[in-house]
Amino acid sequence: MIQIKDMSKWYGDFQVLKDITEEIKQGQTVVVCGPSGSGKSTLLRCINGLEPFQKGEIFVDGVSVSDPATNLYKLRTEIGMVFQRFELYPHMTAIQNITLAPMKARSKPRKEAEAKAMELLQRVGIPDKAHEYPANLSGGQQQRVAIARSLVMEPKIMMFDEPTSALDPEMIKEVLDVMIGLSKGGMTMIVVTHEMGFAREVSDEIIFMDEGMIIERGTDISFFQKPKNPRTKEFLDKILI
Amino acid sequence: MGLAYEFDWGVLWRNPYGMYLLQGIWVTIKLGLIGWAIALSLGVLIGTVRISPWRWLRLIGTAYVEIFRNIPFMVQLFFWYYAGPMLFGEALQYRINSIIGLNYYVAIIALGMYTASRVAEHTRAGFSAISRDHYYAALSTGLTHPQMYRHVIIPYALRIIIPPLTTEFLTIFKNSSIAMTIGVLETTFMSYKIDSETFHGLESTTGACLIYLALGLVVVRLMGILESRLKIPGMIGR
Amino acid sequence: MFDAVSSNLPFLMGGFWVTVKLAFFALAGGIPLGILVGLGRISRNKWVYYPVTFYVNVIRNIPLLLVIFWFYFVMPIIIGSPLDPFPSAVISFIIFEATYFGEILRAGYQSVSKGQIEAGYSTGLTYVQTTRYILIPIALRRMLPSMITQSIVTYQDTCLAFVIGLPEFVRRARIVDTLEVRSIQLFGFVAIVFFITCYIGSVISRRFEVREQEGG
Repeated sequence: MIQIKDMSKWYGDFQVLKDITEEIKQGQTVVVCGPSGSGKSTLLRCINGLEPFQKGEIFVDGVSVSDPATNLYKLRTEIGMVFQRFELYPHMTAIQNITLAPMKARSKPRKEAEAKAMELLQRVGIPDKAHEYPANLSGGQQQRVAIARSLVMEPKIMMFDEPTSALDPEMIKEVLDVMIGLSKGGMTMIVVTHEMGFAREVSDEIIFMDEGMIIERGTDISFFQKPKNPRTKEFLDKILI
Repeated sequence: MGLAYEFDWGVLWRNPYGMYLLQGIWVTIKLGLIGWAIALSLGVLIGTVRISPWRWLRLIGTAYVEIFRNIPFMVQLFFWYYAGPMLFGEALQYRINSIIGLNYYVAIIALGMYTASRVAEHTRAGFSAISRDHYYAALSTGLTHPQMYRHVIIPYALRIIIPPLTTEFLTIFKNSSIAMTIGVLETTFMSYKIDSETFHGLESTTGACLIYLALGLVVVRLMGILESRLKIPGMIGR
Repeated sequence: MFDAVSSNLPFLMGGFWVTVKLAFFALAGGIPLGILVGLGRISRNKWVYYPVTFYVNVIRNIPLLLVIFWFYFVMPIIIGSPLDPFPSAVISFIIFEATYFGEILRAGYQSVSKGQIEAGYSTGLTYVQTTRYILIPIALRRMLPSMITQSIVTYQDTCLAFVIGLPEFVRRARIVDTLEVRSIQLFGFVAIVFFITCYIGSVISRRFEVREQEGG
């Protein structure tokens, strides 16, 4: 589903990503972890073409992201993305947030978009909040609306950029539960997170990044039990307490 | 108490002084509104240019803001009014100077250009207050750039900049008083004119103060209606 | 090229000196009065709060030009004899700018969070110590850029004393221009002098803003 080949990215002279190679198959959930500034978030933004990269290639469902002929807008409808700080449109209600893209990017009639949005709000567990503005929702509720906003485009892939790190502890579970449901339902997912419980439960692969490189990868058991790289061990010791 | 001063509040409505003030109010409103139209369109344009990806455009925008903000408005007014026509060369200069009501046109344009630099700053600040991820969130759902600006970014930025723009809108009416220095017959000029004819400047300027206060209240009320219609529920306004 | 400026330079710079003096007195009086106004605006005593708020709201909604005129007309009535333009202008500026400085002070005070004050008390500091070591330093640092900006605005505003005949910088340029008709270079010169001085001020103000952000 996603192939990344020898991909590198620079901000001016500073190299943020170094020779990233990775393959994610349909239905897999890959968890990416690593210290801040290691390039995890940048990697996600390169996959859906929000940020350009200078070397290597990324294919999403066989389509090259860096090819100038690729319609990035169409590509992005196939990759949902969820952000750390939710990024809901503050001047729109929950349901308006969700229906904007189907109505504008896919020209769906309002009725149809709203019916679909309600179905998704049901699925993330907050159908009663449809007409609330983001500022009146808790962090966990906002993030679930954000997930519904991505799902409404029926993406083939979902990317999560630290979706729970801006949340209060008691709200983390409600968001993770939605993500676990998605993963078990067969969604292809890339999740940047430090929630190792989540990683254990659903991930097919865990990647550890540091200073722009993938320095360790493994299935959950091997990754947690005997990390090969001392940096990985140090990091795991910190976050696993 | 010093000089025996006899108040004569009649200068505020007695013929012809009452008429003077009414004419002045009308000119103040015209200066403010037309100046504001220029300031808003030019200011939003320059503010947007300042966050554009093109370096030389940004540079021009920055230079504009710095120049207009670091020179007193009255000096700008004098420069455009006295030196402006000379910039067009000898031949045109006399034709420009013979335009009837030249000082009105200069005052409106100068006021608009000066206020535009302030509007541009608020516009720039409004757009920069929106995080990069917010743009990305809109794009990641498949919206095109024009759709993103039209439905997400501009409506959001607009709500951020309306409160400071309200203050600027109030300020433009106050600043329009400076147009009197090039002989524009607006409210402040008229109150001064009443003084020179009656020696009751205290009453006439007090009257003018009340006029500006009333004008300010009307503007605040109007902008309050606009703000409440555009306010984002749950987010604290000003 | 700059003949009209160079041949009248002492006269023009004499005007600039008047402008600088006026700005100095306006700030020397406006900032202290502004501090009192700011304290009044955060006062819980309604006999202080409401009159001060009324004064601030009235003055801030009136053009400065009109304030200058008004004091020029009212001062002779109060003191019983005509007052020179310079002291009259100084009084108008102090009364006017103090309302702006007062609002900056109020905003700076309100920018200090309750949590920061409580943190002070919780570590055992007294009221005076909390005010001295936490409230004032934080508020002052937040206010400084705005204070500098407002000082630049005050300096720019002084040219409005033109209207009551004060022979400051712009009026002297206008006088020379009436005689020699060299508007481009004369007003260009005035504009450049203002631009350079104000630009330096705005760079200083921005430096303080950056420092504040770096300090978190």
